[in-house]
Amino acid sequence: MYGWIWQRLPGGMGSKSVTLALIAIAVLILLWFVVFPWATLHLPIDQAGLGG
Amino acid sequence: MVRTLTRGFGELCLTAGVVLLLYIAYLFWGTAWAASNAQHSLASQLNQEWAHGNGSSNPFDPSPDSLHLVTGQPFAFIRIPAFGKNWRFTVIQGTALAQLNVSPGHVPGTQLPGQVGNFVVAGHRVTAGNPFWSEPSLRDGDLIYIQTQANNYVYRVNGKHTVLPTDLSVLDPVPGHPHEQATKRMITLITCNPAWTGTHRVIVTGVLVSAQPRAQTVSKNAEAAG
Repeated sequence: MYGWIWQRLPGGMGSKSVTLALIAIAVLILLWFVVFPWATLHLPIDQAGLGG
Repeated sequence: MVRTLTRGFGELCLTAGVVLLLYIAYLFWGTAWAASNAQHSLASQLNQEWAHGNGSSNPFDPSPDSLHLVTGQPFAFIRIPAFGKNWRFTVIQGTALAQLNVSPGHVPGTQLPGQVGNFVVAGHRVTAGNPFWSEPSLRDGDLIYIQTQANNYVYRVNGKHTVLPTDLSVLDPVPGHPHEQATKRMITLITCNPAWTGTHRVIVTGVLVSAQPRAQTVSKNAEAAG
């Protein structure tokens, strides 16, 4: 999977590394601010109320 | 071919593991960060409202009006020294997820601070700043301080047990005894147990040991609380 991505990135070693780092950061931001908050709303984690 | 598939599968598993760890970190710190912003603005909202004076309300029977009870709005501070010197949260009205995600909440329909009966506060164990993370470690004799605009209350912990989420009797004016007439002024704290799950609730009860107008309590609090 990662090899496949690596092969498709343009440029040499340096530009590949930079692009990959940018992609990784974008994925992290997406997870932290969009996916995780959404998942927390829909998972039965830590329900403190009663009657559920 | 098989090798490529195996490697791809391995990479997927590793990635999933890292994402899962990251998610746990998010639950603990990410939600805490959002909640601390919310706590900050709720606390300054209360301080602003209270800056206009201490108001007046009977410490032993405050009216909902005197507390400005509005769903989602703060009306009190809760401090529990056993959780740490700087541990303080607002108490807002309501315990739907939208409320618990920013602050511990007062269960609607249960009594108000100081009243005969049961003042019930629910809070998250994990997420939302992990307010009640340490609730299961509370012991008999630990003190719970509640501050409203007009009054300061001190409750002393006198019991702890675990119930199913469906056990609504812990909300009764006499906790656990639905048909009894209340004579004591109780507080009940609710959070989930074990942490990270929704299977049980840990219940801590306390009884009122002191209620005084806020203006006078600064120096007397320690004394009265003993």
